[in-house]
Amino acid sequence: MSRLYGDPIEVWATSEGEPARFVWRDRLHVVRQMLEHWVVAREWWKTSDTDPGERRFWRIEAVAGGQVGVYELRYDTSSQAWLLLRAWD
Amino acid sequence: MAPFPHLHVASAYSLRYGTAFPAALVGRAAARGADILALTDRDGLYGAIKHVQACYRAAVDPVVGADLALAETGHAGPGAAPGAGAGAVLGAGARVTVLARGDGWGRLCRLVTAAHHHGSRGEPRVTRELAAEHADGLIVLLGPGSDVGRAVAQRRDGLARDLLEAWRSAVGDALVVEVTDHYGHRDAIIATRMLALADSARVPAVLTNAVRFLDPADHQVGHVLDASRDLAPLHAGHLGRAPSHAYLKDDDEMARVARRVCGADPERVARLLATTREVARACVLDPLQILALEGGPARLHLPEIGRDPVPLLRHRCEDGLRDRGLERSSAARARLAEELAIVERKRLSGYFIAVAGVTDMIRAMGVRCAIRGSAAGSLIPYLLRIGEVNPLDHGLLMERFLSEGRIGLPDIDIDVESARRLDCYRAIRDMYGAERVACVSMMETYRARSAIRDVGAALGLPPHEIDVIAKAFPHIRARQIRAALTDLPELRGSGLNDRLLETTFRLAEKLDGLPRHIALHPCGVLIGNAGLRDRTPVERSLLGFPMSQFDKDDVEEAGLLKLDVLGVRMQSALAYAVGEIARVDGEQIDLDDPASVPRDDDATYDMIRTGRTLGCFQIESPGQRELVAKLEPRTIHDLIVDISLFRPGPVNSDMVTPYLEARHGWRSARYPHPELREVLRETHGVVVFHEQVLRVIDVMTGCGLSEAEKIRRSLGDPDRREQVRAWFLANARETFDRATREEVWRVLDAFGAFGFCKAHAAAFALPTYQSAWLKRHHPAAFLAGVLTHEPGMYPPRVILDEARHCGVEVLPLDVNHSGATWLVERTGDGGYGLRVPFSAVKGVSEAEVERMVAGRPYHSMADFWERARPSRPVAERIAEVGGFDALHRLRVGAPRWRPGELTRRDLIAQVGALERASATGVRAGAGKTATPHGATGVPGGPGDLDGADAVQLSMGFTEWRTPGELPEMSEAEAVEAELEILGMDVSRHVLGFHGELLDAIGVTRSKDLLRCRNGAEVLVAGVKVATQTPAVRSGQRVIFATLDDSTGPIDLTFFESVQGRCAATVFGSWLLVAKGVIRRTGPRAVSLRAVDCWDLGELDQVLRQGGTAALRERMAGTTSERDDRGVGGRRLKYGNGYLLSPYSDIGPAPGVTAPPGRFWHASGGSSGETVRTRA
Repeated sequence: MSRLYGDPIEVWATSEGEPARFVWRDRLHVVRQMLEHWVVAREWWKTSDTDPGERRFWRIEAVAGGQVGVYELRYDTSSQAWLLLRAWD
Repeated sequence: MAPFPHLHVASAYSLRYGTAFPAALVGRAAARGADILALTDRDGLYGAIKHVQACYRAAVDPVVGADLALAETGHAGPGAAPGAGAGAVLGAGARVTVLARGDGWGRLCRLVTAAHHHGSRGEPRVTRELAAEHADGLIVLLGPGSDVGRAVAQRRDGLARDLLEAWRSAVGDALVVEVTDHYGHRDAIIATRMLALADSARVPAVLTNAVRFLDPADHQVGHVLDASRDLAPLHAGHLGRAPSHAYLKDDDEMARVARRVCGADPERVARLLATTREVARACVLDPLQILALEGGPARLHLPEIGRDPVPLLRHRCEDGLRDRGLERSSAARARLAEELAIVERKRLSGYFIAVAGVTDMIRAMGVRCAIRGSAAGSLIPYLLRIGEVNPLDHGLLMERFLSEGRIGLPDIDIDVESARRLDCYRAIRDMYGAERVACVSMMETYRARSAIRDVGAALGLPPHEIDVIAKAFPHIRARQIRAALTDLPELRGSGLNDRLLETTFRLAEKLDGLPRHIALHPCGVLIGNAGLRDRTPVERSLLGFPMSQFDKDDVEEAGLLKLDVLGVRMQSALAYAVGEIARVDGEQIDLDDPASVPRDDDATYDMIRTGRTLGCFQIESPGQRELVAKLEPRTIHDLIVDISLFRPGPVNSDMVTPYLEARHGWRSARYPHPELREVLRETHGVVVFHEQVLRVIDVMTGCGLSEAEKIRRSLGDPDRREQVRAWFLANARETFDRATREEVWRVLDAFGAFGFCKAHAAAFALPTYQSAWLKRHHPAAFLAGVLTHEPGMYPPRVILDEARHCGVEVLPLDVNHSGATWLVERTGDGGYGLRVPFSAVKGVSEAEVERMVAGRPYHSMADFWERARPSRPVAERIAEVGGFDALHRLRVGAPRWRPGELTRRDLIAQVGALERASATGVRAGAGKTATPHGATGVPGGPGDLDGADAVQLSMGFTEWRTPGELPEMSEAEAVEAELEILGMDVSRHVLGFHGELLDAIGVTRSKDLLRCRNGAEVLVAGVKVATQTPAVRSGQRVIFATLDDSTGPIDLTFFESVQGRCAATVFGSWLLVAKGVIRRTGPRAVSLRAVDCWDLGELDQVLRQGGTAALRERMAGTTSERDDRGVGGRRLKYGNGYLLSPYSDIGPAPGVTAPPGRFWHASGGSSGETVRTRA
């Protein structure tokens, strides 16, 4: 069962922009495996910005203190902010 | 690692889908070191030639394919193919990509043609069976968008396998699975599954990026294009269809995609990339097989003649010499020998034979046919009777048309009657066979107005607003939109510079130049041999003609023979006039026979000299009327010079003044060097023609005319100008000193790029003279032709006015005399009249016109209603403009109330009664027309000539109307109706209703302008009949407007200094009052430099509400509030100092060209305001 969170998190990404480690609820999570990655564009015609950017999603397997869980992270290219959207743990 | 070959790439030639041009894609790929690049446009090979060309130049190996939609249900028999009905399950719009193998270009062309034939027009569909038929030269890629891909996406694994097997059994080893990942939500998973399916079925798999864009940022444009294709505003669903990852990724990025797809299995990644390269290698085409003009002598694909064309052409030319009476002319023989030598060296004999065959056939059909363009400079077309211009008479050169140095096919252009153009196409098709003939296409590209329309619709703006916004712009490029908003005074004040529209305009600019739809080229016809369909894909055009997917440049590159058969309205008008003369006067005229129409008729030239040339070919525009009045042509040669001078080049390098001064003897002709006298004598020392440029270069350097033609072509290229200059200065013979060389170079440089080909002008001068001759000697028939075929720039009401000035009466619509087109009638006093035709009535259909003409004569309106069976609105309109006046003896005007007498309004009301009567059951059957019924609807009306008061309609039910129950229309109302319904004022000039205002401000009439002194300031008024913004010497955008005030045309020039206050009014009004300064332009011609202008309707309003005092105040104007910034925009500057406004030489905004609904105050009574009173 997954739970929805939507918490802002801090992420260390690889040079290719993929998440490697992140801190959520004061625990360090280390990414073990990337399961899925996709990109969603924004409805730019509804904003006044010329480039509202896109949202990048990762579904990853990560370890925190020996516990393995699956998480869904989202990166917004215009605000440059990361969110933890869901967790299966 | 070997470079990644992109095998699935859409360019801008994927209409309303791709955003990058082939050259840009190839350029990007080449810069990255790619050795192979494919182009697989959607639905056709529209960009294929350009792609192969770009690849050839960039040393990239080209692959060509097409991305085609699958027919929704295969054509397989019952149970034959698994999943044949799966289309419905998998959703519509599945597509496959087909690549030509190395030797499969012809097969690909034929498959694309077959797909277009299979689908409905513009919606090609391919089936497995079609692909199977052509599979020997193809590779079929099944990607995520294919039926197999969709089954995989829906996890219908069994169906996917069955479909894949069905494809395999259809196309065999042509089958390849294509995996793609655009980083969409499930893209990678689907790709992985497809890869697994391919592996298990042992079908090779390749990786592509299904490219749509050059750069990721272009995906917004992709969304707009998708929305415009869907005819729906943008919504979230569009996001996934044009993902930002669908761009031309580099090798690293593609390797990353491969790793995603293969689940990071390095061996599988390597295999996927290797297979992709293998397939790409197998599909590389030899560019020289497709490009006929590159690499060595041109390889042309001419029609089969059946015998050796060389001796055939020689014989035909020999016969031609005899026919044309040139047998004994040694000049003609020498010229012919020279021309034949070049033609035979270039192996073009068959080309001339083929063209002559076409023109012979067109003439045999009784269609007027004239040669145009540089081909008139060659003697061979004259001898073969392709054209009627003898190049020796005018000193025309063949080298301008065909020279040693020129690569490719020469163009022979033929003008035929516009109304018969399609007949000519059909005849050509029948003559050569449908397999060998196709029309040339052209891409309509996005310009400002179309871009605003499509973006506006995508963003969900209301349609009427989009319309208003789009129409506010002149015919500029889309990328100029925002610049135009600040540059042009008429847009500055329009309120369009709004922030809300910013997004619309920003996106519209991005569509600039993208192909929007394909259309039939107005004149190009391909005539090929049996292999034509292996060289060009062909689709159906709107008119049903087979149409090549290549444009005129592409077909030339492909080595196909193109003949330009242009429909020219003036040729139709001439033919019509000749027909009317024969019908009305029984006189047979052969315009091309100098015995019938002498080429030196003084009366004709006298008319031209006075600028009375409205309606004539080439010389009717305000500028040309001014020029002919100054130039005073007396021979056909003068007309050739006149036509050549009226071009941006001569106008801008100021050739006109020195020529005119020398011509009229105000100064003596000046020659840069005595040796050039011979060449320049015909134009008094001024270089006017391309031919003279060639001769000057030849005389001074001795390089030969072919070489000189090459030099002339380089003059137009700013990059090569310096080079040519150095060559010229160094190679001139010693006889010419340095100063002469420099002087001549300056002339050539200023002129070379813009001059006019004399052969072209000579070809034009003939119809110009013919039209003028007809206008002078048969004005009624000529103007009937002009009104019927509308060859010129003026609206019909101007031509009607011109007819009146020529003493021709304009006869109103009359159901018993009007025809389908404008007919000439003899009038009682021995003169001629022009009868308004049925086709002029707004909303009338062709079938109705046919019935109306066939049913004549009618003896009442009811009779007309029953036998001509018009729609109700059309019948009402005919009554409204007086079509029954003669029949029922009506007369508009006072008194309005005429008890007992029938009025037009009574008739209009009666139409309603007739319709209701017909609707209640008994429709007068077609079989009853033999016993026409009386005018039951108007008992006692004077039109009831049967005498019977009421011969009842067969249904035995009629509403009764008392004649005179409704008031008669006033004259003003009648003219208003004419403008509304016929688009022209037939009975009176509209200006006649503003007499009070015109008297109050004191306007000068057109006919009195000649008597005004130069520099006088006058007020004029009239209907705006034309606005133009041609290129002029100063680089300004100058607006030329022509008003018509019933006594003749008034030509006004608005310079940029006054446009701030005038531009919006000029473009936005129909009736204008203008203040201008008289400028005498010739002994019998004047034009006005405008200083201010007003909307006449507005002034009339002011006069009525505030009296003359208010009017004076309004016209004095508060100029301080007005915009005096003029026109902005950076002028384009040419090397020779010639400036061009970015807004000149384009179609201006349509503005107001038609009268508004009600524009003056109906004089007379207060009742009966509504014209369309319904019974």
